[in-house]
Amino acid sequence: MRRVLPFTIVSVTGFFMLVQYFIPREEFEWIYEWTLDWIIVIGCFAMLLGLYSLTYVSVNKVRRKTPGWGYNLIALAGLFFMLIVGFVPGQESLVRGSVFMHLFEYVYVPVQAAMFSLLAFYIASAAYRAFRARTVLATILLVSAVIIMLRLVPLGPLSGINQWLANFILTVPNMAAKRAFWIGVGLGATATALKIMLGIERTYMGRD
Amino acid sequence: MHPSPDIGIWIGALLTLGIFSFLYGDNPYYKFCEALFVGVSAGHWFVTLFWTVFVAKMIRNVEIGLNTFITQGFSAGMADYVHWSYIFGGILGFLMLLRLFPKIGWISRWSLAFVVGTTSGLFFINYLVSNGLRQVEKSILSLGAEFWFGNLILVVGTFCGLIYFFFSKEHKGAFGGLARVGIWFLMITFGATFGYTVMSRMSLLIGRMDYLLGNWLGLIG
Amino acid sequence: MRKVAIFVFFLLFSSIFVFPPDKAFAQEETEMPASPTKVEASDTPNDNGHSITVKWKLSADDGAGKNNVVVYEVLRSDSPEGEFELRGMVPAGESVFEDQGAKDRQSPNYLPSHKKFYYTVRAKGDGIYSDSEVSAPGYAYGQWFHTGKFPVFVAVLAFSAFALIFISLARKGKKLYVRPLAGIEAVDEAIGRATEMGKPILYIIGLGSADMIATIASFTILSRVAKKTAEYQTPILIPCYDAVVMAVAQETVKAAYLEAGRPDIYKEENVFFLTSMQFAYVAGVNGIMLRERPATNFYLGKFYAESLILAETGSVAGSIQISGTDEIAQIPFFVAATDYTLIGEELYAASAYLGREPVLLGTLKGQDWGKAVVIISLILGAIAASLHFQFFLDLFRVQL
Repeated sequence: MRRVLPFTIVSVTGFFMLVQYFIPREEFEWIYEWTLDWIIVIGCFAMLLGLYSLTYVSVNKVRRKTPGWGYNLIALAGLFFMLIVGFVPGQESLVRGSVFMHLFEYVYVPVQAAMFSLLAFYIASAAYRAFRARTVLATILLVSAVIIMLRLVPLGPLSGINQWLANFILTVPNMAAKRAFWIGVGLGATATALKIMLGIERTYMGRD
Repeated sequence: MHPSPDIGIWIGALLTLGIFSFLYGDNPYYKFCEALFVGVSAGHWFVTLFWTVFVAKMIRNVEIGLNTFITQGFSAGMADYVHWSYIFGGILGFLMLLRLFPKIGWISRWSLAFVVGTTSGLFFINYLVSNGLRQVEKSILSLGAEFWFGNLILVVGTFCGLIYFFFSKEHKGAFGGLARVGIWFLMITFGATFGYTVMSRMSLLIGRMDYLLGNWLGLIG
Repeated sequence: MRKVAIFVFFLLFSSIFVFPPDKAFAQEETEMPASPTKVEASDTPNDNGHSITVKWKLSADDGAGKNNVVVYEVLRSDSPEGEFELRGMVPAGESVFEDQGAKDRQSPNYLPSHKKFYYTVRAKGDGIYSDSEVSAPGYAYGQWFHTGKFPVFVAVLAFSAFALIFISLARKGKKLYVRPLAGIEAVDEAIGRATEMGKPILYIIGLGSADMIATIASFTILSRVAKKTAEYQTPILIPCYDAVVMAVAQETVKAAYLEAGRPDIYKEENVFFLTSMQFAYVAGVNGIMLRERPATNFYLGKFYAESLILAETGSVAGSIQISGTDEIAQIPFFVAATDYTLIGEELYAASAYLGREPVLLGTLKGQDWGKAVVIISLILGAIAASLHFQFFLDLFRVQL
């Protein structure tokens, strides 16, 4: 029962979502919309689990004084301070000008942007490693990337040719490979979904 | 040089420098910024989700649903059921929380099964349509049209790319040759994607430099 | 003089009847366009039962005759003698209108199913109009099958048939060959390396939620990887981006440890939630990579812009890295920065490769047959399109 019922739920809900696609009737539309909303609601409740997990792991590290426990304390402080300034004023906390939104604007936003901008450095180091033309495949990768990178750079008499090449690469071979990729992904994802619905793949569900 | 008088910009700038210090190596300054970032972001996410989804959707709809049920009973239409259907969603959500109690934690699998099952059924169709049928529809191209050369390369590239993704046949002989052509096409795509994103990544860095040198220190702009 | 004045007045007066001023204009002012005819109201096919399609025969003055029809207005009433309300307009030349209503009773545009409505169509031009006769009643009702989605139905049956046939063959013991994948073959070596070094394994399920198929594929791989780590007694760390993903991951890993016969070494705190904000998650994972120094990193699932930061940091930390995603935009970065990459469909095939269960390998064969059908369709389609045979293209067209 403990094991059979979850797999039954998986199969029933899976096949319902599959079948409802073909049935345009109103009742099926309603149940489809409710189902999607219920997933959001489950996610809402699950956030409590997430919060508990983060707190538990951090508190454990602080208690055991594992190396770097001070930083876990900072994370906990940041978390709980946000919770306090977010819940105490009520829904007003989401209004611009509140302490909650100030912390978002002056702590979260700049740090997020800084993390994102690290990509500029990492893309350079990744390019250095990837663009060593030791194999045919690496050479193709390099040539294609260089042509596309230079398409926005004024190259004098070569600009026209480069632009044409870049446009050709983007619209023809690039699109061809993408289609093959997407078709492959589509078939793979469909097969995975079918395996889950038929109960062939069961490893994601726990057991006692 | 006209540094900003805004304390918020100073905080943002110092945290930005802390993140950039990671490029040199892991250090206490970066660790402090990272820890603060993780804590603040988790708190922000939780609070926002609570007010904008849990309260605005879940609580509000359950409230309307209960009122509708009290006033109209079972004679309400399907459009009204949507409100008190959230009660059922709430029950599924509550079952998730039982994970916190080891003895009855197994009940939470019903909610997980609901999510996984719904996802599977939905994506079975979605991927078959969007990644399967639609891509095939777009890949059917005339070789007698004006741009026949491009169409030919598109058809050949798609054909060879699909050959590459065959799992149950060894890449040997003619089949292997076609698969090799397929991976060449894929490499062209990967190179193009790489080159395409370089500029946008650089512009992110320019944005941060603008923030530090302009908004914070007032050296530019 | 008086006689001349009377004579001139008489002439002027009578000229009104001989040459009436603006007689042509007065006639045009009162001449209405011909009314549309044969108005029919019927249920709109392939819908949820809240839409009625109105068709009519164009007015004789539409594109002909006086050519004075500009627009058709469609009006509806729930009785033939009742008040008609405007439901919409279509330009001249069109003879079909879909009266789409809402299914929500509270909506002002609610159109109930199985309720009879009467329609009239008004041909209008330059402020003058004429109405058609009232149509016979029509009502909306929902269909049980969307005929526009028939190609999808065929595709579902075909794909399922391929998969089930090969699953059945696999169950009967037929050996199925699968070509080697470098990324999969490296998994054992990668886990062994972690065991030798006494370092943990880091498994990143990606930034997808549990309602994404790539994340579910990652769970199926995680189960096999976790089972191996349980056998080798190597710790596995799984920082999660989504709380539901964390819950499923905990179930998956716990079951894997149970299957390996080592439930005693399972630690739930190794599968934990970090944050649900993209770059905060990355910052946290970077910290874990640099402090815990895992010997092996797995990046399998849904990734976005953060993929390169994760992969580069892992590279700096000296880990062996195996990646896989179905996001084509992130594959180049994984190819550049990680040791092995599972490209697209290979991510979905990985669980079959790792488990080597015949039934799973059977579905791989089914996928290959699906690709074979696509290839044949491409070739036949190119020939058909070149010869201008539209019917072949229509086979794949899905109407939503």
